[in-house]
Formats: sequence, structure tokens, C-alpha cells
Amino acid sequence: MAELKLLLKHADDPTYRTLKGYKANGGYKGLSKALKLEKQAIIDEVKTSGLRGRGGAGFPTWIKWNGLAKDKKSTHYVVCNADEGEPGTFKDKQLMEDCPFLLVEGMTIAAYAVQGDVGYIYIRAEFLDAAKAVRQAIDEAYANNLLGKNILGTDFSFDLHVHLGAGSYECGEESALMSSLMGERGMPRLKFPHAPLPTVSGVWESPTLLNNVETFACACPIMVDGGEAYSKLGASTKNSRGTKIFSVSGHVNKPGNFEIEFGTPLKELLELAGGVKGGKLKACIPGGSSMPVIKPDEIDRAIIGYEEFQEVNSMVGSGGCMFFNEHTDIVMLCWRTALFYANESCGKCTPCREGTRWMNQILDRIVAGNGQKGDKELLVEVASQIEGRSFCALGEAAAWPVKGFIRQFPEEFDYWIEHGKSPVKSKESLVMVP
Amino acid sequence: MFLIFTEIESTSATKLDVIFVLSTTPRTRFHCFDQYNSGTLLAVSDLLQIGSSNERPMPPKAEDIDLRFGPQAVAELEALKSHYPNWKACMLPALWIAQREYGGFLGDAAIMEVAHRLKRSAAEVQGVATFYSMYNTQHQPGRHKIEVCTCLSCHFNGAFRIRDYISNKLGIGNRETTEDGMFMLEEVECLNACDRAPVLQVGDQYIGPVDEAAIDALLEKLRSTEESTVVQMADQIVQCHLQSSERVGSIK
Repeated sequence: MAELKLLLKHADDPTYRTLKGYKANGGYKGLSKALKLEKQAIIDEVKTSGLRGRGGAGFPTWIKWNGLAKDKKSTHYVVCNADEGEPGTFKDKQLMEDCPFLLVEGMTIAAYAVQGDVGYIYIRAEFLDAAKAVRQAIDEAYANNLLGKNILGTDFSFDLHVHLGAGSYECGEESALMSSLMGERGMPRLKFPHAPLPTVSGVWESPTLLNNVETFACACPIMVDGGEAYSKLGASTKNSRGTKIFSVSGHVNKPGNFEIEFGTPLKELLELAGGVKGGKLKACIPGGSSMPVIKPDEIDRAIIGYEEFQEVNSMVGSGGCMFFNEHTDIVMLCWRTALFYANESCGKCTPCREGTRWMNQILDRIVAGNGQKGDKELLVEVASQIEGRSFCALGEAAAWPVKGFIRQFPEEFDYWIEHGKSPVKSKESLVMVP
Repeated sequence: MFLIFTEIESTSATKLDVIFVLSTTPRTRFHCFDQYNSGTLLAVSDLLQIGSSNERPMPPKAEDIDLRFGPQAVAELEALKSHYPNWKACMLPALWIAQREYGGFLGDAAIMEVAHRLKRSAAEVQGVATFYSMYNTQHQPGRHKIEVCTCLSCHFNGAFRIRDYISNKLGIGNRETTEDGMFMLEEVECLNACDRAPVLQVGDQYIGPVDEAAIDALLEKLRSTEESTVVQMADQIVQCHLQSSERVGSIK
């Protein structure tokens, strides 16, 4: 099975970034079709397609779209989460750089379906190439009556703005992103059931639709070909439909983005990326750094899908797939992951703020050669205390990988603690931060 | 005495009405609270001097600060204000404008100016600015900021070797600036260009995969670049926010 490109089909074509090239390749057919439909019919189409959120949680998209008030009382906002920060993921970056109109069109379709008035694309400030491409796409769309007042002669109006962040992983979390968009520190807010859903009360206490870049982009092929056709893709899986872009990196010969149909074996993704370089395969983190690691025998039998990945105790997540060869020191990998979360914890809640720090300190002393007996158990204990007790999902995202590494490779931790040095010979992974 | 507001448009309210909000919708309460914080709305307690309104952090007054935003920056900020339902939401883009206008460094003066222009307290603006890693609130970053990604994929493709190489060559550590004010080195978390590992960011450019030779060439090129890439990046970020009709500068 090779790649199945719905979104990245024309990514290599530079003219696809201009409105002319986009229209020549079937662009804006989805929107013109959508504008002729009833609003509920669009949501039903998305429901039929079986599309699930591509940002990490895999929440059914149509439920969000259906959640905004039908009898509109105040401004409806449509927000795109383009704050891609999960280590190992770079799909949204390529989507925005190479296919910016897919995002703009997808958001316009969504706005029409949920009666949105104003939209914001929250892009992380590091992605300036992506922001420039999206900016140019929006400018062109405005000039051609595809955004702004009375789009394509209908009575539907929609304004779309670009909003750049300023460097914070936490802002990729739904409620933290809303805080940041409103000009506050990017910290998470109380969530359902303790507070209303964003679709009821989101940014500026107005109904808000918040989706990932890839999710919005998927709205275009769904509108053009219909939800029925989209739902046939990935039919071999339990409940994952359509295609998913996986960002493959680490020790592979040809790192990059690969769009594949759900139901493809994970092995084939590795083959697409040119196989492992520098030695035999040792481990894989299949869905971004917050997902638990899996071993070669699990890689062999893993099928890509939201439920299918749970059988090997991991998750699809954001689709940042990293492969590591036999010279990789797993404890070092664990240390670097824990350091990331310790650096990026926003500091709002105690379990995450303190717990990530502690995990980092314990791993610091293990990789400095001063590991103590029982450190491995202590790490598991700290991770378990964070899990399920933190304010937002960053706590879980920090705890899962650490527990995963220890569960899968306990002997490497034991070796480090006992001998104070790495069980594998690799210069690269041993360079330390002072 | 009792005035019940059903809806207040926050951007337009400059009147100093004395209001007593009985039970209204959460949305209205939200706007009142927001304006109260920004000092455009007075509460009954302020009028009756129950408690001292001086204790409430107020936006800095124009006469207390030295305003440095040029006409272009003022025009850009005005345009940005129309993008959001209230001024507070302009905080992040306004800080980017300030970072450009103040030569890449958000010191006390820059924070005060943003606070004054958005009618927020300086403490609040400082609180927001220090949360985000791309605002330089600690010290002047130098003309070029070299950000080395050291996260997972880059780590295992030699990011720390690259970091050490730059560090030795320039004689600076993490988050330090060279004495001539030319370079600042910073280790950053994932830049999400793992296919190009190990990757660096300088200004608005991603450079990768890099090796020692590429670093030598890069440093040489940056030395001869007169324009500060830190300022240039802040400018590009501001330009990306603006619609084509509002844009004074250009996107390069």
C-alpha cells in the first residue's frame, strides 16, 4: 500500500499556493457546493464521513460542529489551532506552507455550517513561512470575494484573521490557546463538566469552534466527494476514517510527511520513509512525544488507527512518528522527553509543575551516573501521581512517555542505575547539558 | 442609581459611567470586569471611595513614560484593535510591535508603552510578556539570535554537538550574548521541523540540517548582515497579522 494523498496531493506544485493554481486543481469547489446546501446538511455530511479531530484527541468533528447554537444570539467564532508544538510533528507546517488555501477554504466551509462571523488562525510564531503563506492566501481570498462580506454573492459573511503566538507549547492545548488568543498568559481554563464547552462559551464567552489545521483541511475533500466516499477510506479499521498525515523523523533515511489511509500497517510507514538508518530498529514513538514508546515486535503488528494503536498500548496522537535505531539510549530519550515537559509546563497546577520537575531531576541524576536504587520505581510513582490529577492534558502527556519507557525497557534503566553509564555505545546521545 | 446594562461594547466605552451591575448575562459581566480592569469603567466603590481605587493597578499615564512608537506602529496597532472584540486581545501582537520598535528587547519602557496604549496595567503586560519564550524580556538579545533546537529528533541527530560547536566558537553559553552584541545563543524546544534535524532558527529562517561547515558559513553571513534579524522577525510577525489594506510594511 502506498501513500493515499487527499490533502497533500498537490503539495509539490508551487502554483497550488496561489488562488489560480488552487482553483485549477479543483479548489473552492467544496465551498461553492457547501453554500448551496443547508447548514445542517453540511454537518450531517461531516458526520457521515466519520472524521475525527486530527490534533491528538480524536474527538468526532461533527459533534463540535453540531454543538454551536442554531439560533444565534451572539457572535460565533471559528478558531484554528495551528500551534503545532508536539515534538516529532510537522504536518500542519507543511499543510500551511504548501496548501494554505485548503485551510482557508476548510475554515470558510466550517464557518458557514456553524454560522461563524469571525475566524482566527492561531499559528505559532516560529512558523513564519507558514504564516506568510496563509497570509497571502487570505489576502487573495479577500480580493476575490471568497472572504469578507457576502461571499460569492450569498448573504454569508466571514472575516478571517491571522494571530501569531509567541513561543509556548502549552498554547496548543484548547483552553490555553483561547486564553492566549484573548491576550492572557497561555494557561488552561476549567473544562467540561466544570465549565461550559467552548462550543457554548469559548473565546470572549461566545460560542467557538476550535479545530486543528488538518481537520479543517479535511472539510474540503469531504464537501467535494461527499462524506460517504470519505468514510470508505480506512473501512478496515474499527472507527478511524479517511487519511492521516504522519510526520516521520528520527533515524530514518527519508524523513518527511506521508499521507496514508487508516488501516495501513505501521511497518509500511517506515518503508515509505526509506527504512531505518544506522542500524537495526529499536523503538518507535508513533504519535508525538507524549505517546508511549513501542518495540519492534509491536511495530510489526501495529495497524494505524485510533483504536488499533491502543492494542499496542499507544495512540495516534498528532501523528509525529519517530523511529530510533539500536544505538539509541532509551534512558537518554526518556530524559530528553521529561526535560521538554518540565520546560513547557505552564505552572498553573501543582501536580504537573512539580511532578515534571521531579521526574526531570531524577532522570538528571540517573544520566549523570548517580542513579540510586529505587529510582525507577520512584519515577513510576511520580508519573502516576501526575496522571489524572493535572489541570490539562499536558500532565498526562508528560507521564505517559516516562511510564512507557520504563515499562518497555526496564533493563536499560537498571543498567544505568547500577553501572552509572549507558548500556549502548553511541557518542551522540551521551552529549549532556551542563 | 441602578443602571442595568445588557450589552457593553468594550472598544467603544470611554465614558466613565457609574454602574451597578445587578444580575446580567455572563457576557455582560465579563465585559464590565474587563473594562473595570482596564480603567475605562468606574465602580460604585470608586465613587463612594470604599476602599481606595489607588490600590487597583492602573494603566501608566502618558506623562510618566517616554513614548517611542512611530506613526507606522501606531497605525498598525489601531488596525489590529479592529480585529478583536476588545483591546486586551491585541496584547500579543502589540508586544511584537514593541519588540520591533525597541530594537528586539522588551524592557520596562516597552512594557509601559504597551500597557499605556492598550489601557492595561503594566504588571499585567509584564505577566503576559514573560510567559512566552520568544519575547526577549531578560536582556538585549544582540543583533542575531541563534536558536538551536535540541528536542528529541534533533538531539539524536547531533543537536548538542552543534550547540557546543557554536558555543565554543562564539565563547558564549545558553541565553548569553557576545560582548560585541552580535550574537545570542539559545537552546529551544521543538521547532517542529524534525525532518530537517538538526535544525536552527535565525530570524524568520529555519536552517537545517546543519553541520559544522554550515555553521561557519552561517556565522560569516550573519556577521556581514547589518540588519538585525531579531527586529526583522518581529516586523514580519506584525505584518502577517495585518490585512493587505492595513499593511504599511511588506511581507518579504
